[in-house]
Amino acid sequence: MPTMQKQAFEAISDAASKALAGKPPFERAPYSPEAGEEAPHEAYSYWRSTMRIFLRNKTAVAFLAIMAALLVFTFVQPLIPGQKSPTEIFNDERGIQIRNAPPSREFWLGTNSIGQDLWSRIWAGTRTSLLIAFAVAIIDSALGIAMGVVWGYIRAVEGMFTELYNIFDNIPQTLMLILISYVLRPSVSTIILALSITSWLTTARFIRNQIVIIRDRDYNLASRCLGSPPLKIIARNIMPFLISVITMRAAIAIPNAISNEVFVSYIGLGLPLAIPSLGNLITSGIDKMLEPSLRYQLIFPAAVLCLITVSFYIVGNALADASDPKNHTI
Amino acid sequence: MQRLIRSAVTLVVVIAVVFGLLRQMPIEGYFNNYDKMTPTQIRVGLERHGLNRPYLRALMSFLGNLLKGDLGVSNRYRVGYPINSLIAQKMPISMSIGILALITALALGLPLGVLMARSAISAKRFKAADKAGSAFIAIVESIPFAVYCLFIQIYGTELIRKYIYLPMLFSKENIATWFLPVFSLSLANMAMYAMWMRRYMIDEYSREYTRLARAKGVSEAAISTKHVFRNAIVPLSQYLPTSLVVTLMGSLYVESRYSIPGMGGLLVDSIKRQDNTLVLALVVVYTALSIAGVFIGDIAMAVLDPRIRLTRSQEAR
Amino acid sequence: MDSDSIVEIDGLHVSFRLRGERVHALRGVTLDVKRGESLAIVGESGSGKSVLCKCLMGLLDSNGEITEGTITFDGIELTKIKDEKQWLNIRGSGIAFVMQDPISSLNPLMRVGDQVKEAVLLHQGLSGSEARQAAVNALSDVGIDSAEKRYMQYPHEFSGGMRQRAVIAIALACKPKLIICDEPTTALDVTIQAQILGLIKEMQKKMHLTTIYVTHDLGVVAMIADRVAVMYAGDIIEVGTVREVFKRPAHPYTWALLSSLPQLAPKSGELYSIGGSPPNMANEISGDAFAPRNPYALNIDFVQRPGYYSLSPTHKARTWLLDSRAPRVDPPEGIQKIRRGDGL
Repeated sequence: MPTMQKQAFEAISDAASKALAGKPPFERAPYSPEAGEEAPHEAYSYWRSTMRIFLRNKTAVAFLAIMAALLVFTFVQPLIPGQKSPTEIFNDERGIQIRNAPPSREFWLGTNSIGQDLWSRIWAGTRTSLLIAFAVAIIDSALGIAMGVVWGYIRAVEGMFTELYNIFDNIPQTLMLILISYVLRPSVSTIILALSITSWLTTARFIRNQIVIIRDRDYNLASRCLGSPPLKIIARNIMPFLISVITMRAAIAIPNAISNEVFVSYIGLGLPLAIPSLGNLITSGIDKMLEPSLRYQLIFPAAVLCLITVSFYIVGNALADASDPKNHTI
Repeated sequence: MQRLIRSAVTLVVVIAVVFGLLRQMPIEGYFNNYDKMTPTQIRVGLERHGLNRPYLRALMSFLGNLLKGDLGVSNRYRVGYPINSLIAQKMPISMSIGILALITALALGLPLGVLMARSAISAKRFKAADKAGSAFIAIVESIPFAVYCLFIQIYGTELIRKYIYLPMLFSKENIATWFLPVFSLSLANMAMYAMWMRRYMIDEYSREYTRLARAKGVSEAAISTKHVFRNAIVPLSQYLPTSLVVTLMGSLYVESRYSIPGMGGLLVDSIKRQDNTLVLALVVVYTALSIAGVFIGDIAMAVLDPRIRLTRSQEAR
Repeated sequence: MDSDSIVEIDGLHVSFRLRGERVHALRGVTLDVKRGESLAIVGESGSGKSVLCKCLMGLLDSNGEITEGTITFDGIELTKIKDEKQWLNIRGSGIAFVMQDPISSLNPLMRVGDQVKEAVLLHQGLSGSEARQAAVNALSDVGIDSAEKRYMQYPHEFSGGMRQRAVIAIALACKPKLIICDEPTTALDVTIQAQILGLIKEMQKKMHLTTIYVTHDLGVVAMIADRVAVMYAGDIIEVGTVREVFKRPAHPYTWALLSSLPQLAPKSGELYSIGGSPPNMANEISGDAFAPRNPYALNIDFVQRPGYYSLSPTHKARTWLLDSRAPRVDPPEGIQKIRRGDGL
């Protein structure tokens, strides 16, 4: 540790004299003003940091793998040879429906109360539910972003939008969902409509708040002063921030849509039984819950559903954390 | 006052929308035995309900009756029975269950959030509490309410039956049957409160004034209670209306699952029976309740935070 | 070690974990603070001045760690303290802190008076109404009018200057031996700056306090400090009385810092600015950290770190230029002007 030197003389260490490589130590070194300018910090990349933080979250990576496997399998399953039809009713050799058969080699997850194969119904139901969920997520993001951008960026409509939002935000989403499903006839598109009508408001508000925060930052003021048209400012400066927001919102919208579908089915406003969905599979499973030997009809679809919603939730949250620049310092 | 007017306007707009939507319904929903009725009977019936009047006039008369406190009569659920008395019968039980669930959520959720926050900012070896709490929140938040509620009903009842006798369905007199519905209704809010409490506490811990409090020698325990906890409660109060709505909507499912004779179960039943006037009345009541919740939340926030006065211009939350 | 030193810092190394890297914020800081003096620590942002202060309070961020060296305060070795409880005896009653930003350093939900009272209760052994009266007095001592009424108000009802006065009242209410002021005036208007500095100076005299100012404003240093320590890249490169450092600066970085003062600008009107940027503290720095930006650097500056060379019993600097083997170097024009006695 170098402490105070009383004499105006300090020995030159061996390492230092080696590093000098014969140059006279007390000679003026060549100076160039640029020399001190070498990039002082490793270039910071937003996306690389996001990736790094995300990959550090081992739980999230594991659930991402589960999620990917589930998605792929759900859509590949009907193409696998030897899979049964989800709507076919199976009869035994005497022509009687094979009702409530426990899981066996023939029916991997057993059959339901009218002799349909639960295994293939679950995957068909997952397909329907995911289809609904993705459609809702797309409509939710598209509508939410468009309205959110207009709301946040065009000051002329801001007041009106805020008033409208404050009014409609007061209607509980679930109530709206019930009403719309009640008025319209149950079908896949009705459910998509009912779910997306209620959910995009949240996204729009979210986007709008982000935009207001970003919009008022100095650098955007600067580019406004320089005369960039508003849309260009949105695209250049704001969209990159929003991509992370969108990923996160979509990751929340999907499990949300799935669970809402379950709820709507439960109160009797869901899809007809001919179209298997996780919602009506669980609802028909509920009828069997009092009989422990038949509970598998509830547990299997519920398990698949939970796997999907949990993995979307965890991956979505991890992405949100990782895409927040505040966390990039860790 | 301004806020009160705003709430009233909101309610009227909502009623107008709901009213308009329900007019799109098939008219069967207004009659008990539609199939056997003659066209004349149907016309008379429609007139009685004001259904052949133009939208605005019908709406006006509904609002007028509403002001007089009259919600109309049920058509299918209990024919000719006034909805007012129906709701008056069912409201108390729903209220008690909802309030109990909210209290449970606060009583368990806040301490959990505090515990998690303190664990999160502590040394590495104490992080277990935070991890466990986060896992609990993730489970409650990600598994659909309808699903975990169901499993609590099945397995919770079986578990308790090992010790005392417990019917699966609710009965007002048997206190033991209150436990599971209240508990499942409180879980979602419990998780929400714990999550936000944790987040706001952690925010508060990194504030300059918390540092200053530390710098003036205030102990960690005193900082947690006097500065951090109190300040974290303020932004948390904005979730009060949300949690109220969550409870209201959760009660639809819970009451119907446990056959609780409350409003939630009533709404589900009226939908299944397609009783239009009852659906309309209940939707109006539920909306009014959630608007009242938002209003209370705003007041709570203004009471807790000296910086906010109720006159401030309303921003989108 | 001197018995009239209240703080002795010896070879202090602090590093942070940041984005998976180790950043060396302090690299062997050695510094004494004398009882009753007013010491200024100057340096650009990132030079480690705030980190140094946080070490004194035991309030280092959780990703930071003292890896080497010792700090002694009033005979207590702070670097050995493991227990939070021991820190509570130091904080406030030993060392008090005035922070940079008066806007955010008061709790917005607590009456200002109660925040002062909190300090009184902890450190003056008073209770109840006595403590309240002491808090009111503390507020009026720092020049807050109608303190009784102000006591009941919330921070948002105070102006920026008023808030900083309240923060100072809190610090003084702890009856500390040492006050650290971390850029106490940067967030304030120029006119209020002078008032606040005057207030701190007055209080220091009245209560026989030791003060440490952290600042990047050389004007503030000239106004209030007895001694000044110049920091660069986590190290103190020159220390001496204000007179010595301003009149006879020895380190090329101090030269550059002084040359950037507007008062020293040549007649042409162009302000001096230091070329390049501070080094990346995540990298191992061999030699003098300032060498790459130093037009007067010697070959040895790039390979071995210089020790301290004494210019007087109170003035020392860490530069090879003071070595007897070094060539004679003429400092820049502005510095020569100071040495001749004009300028400043």
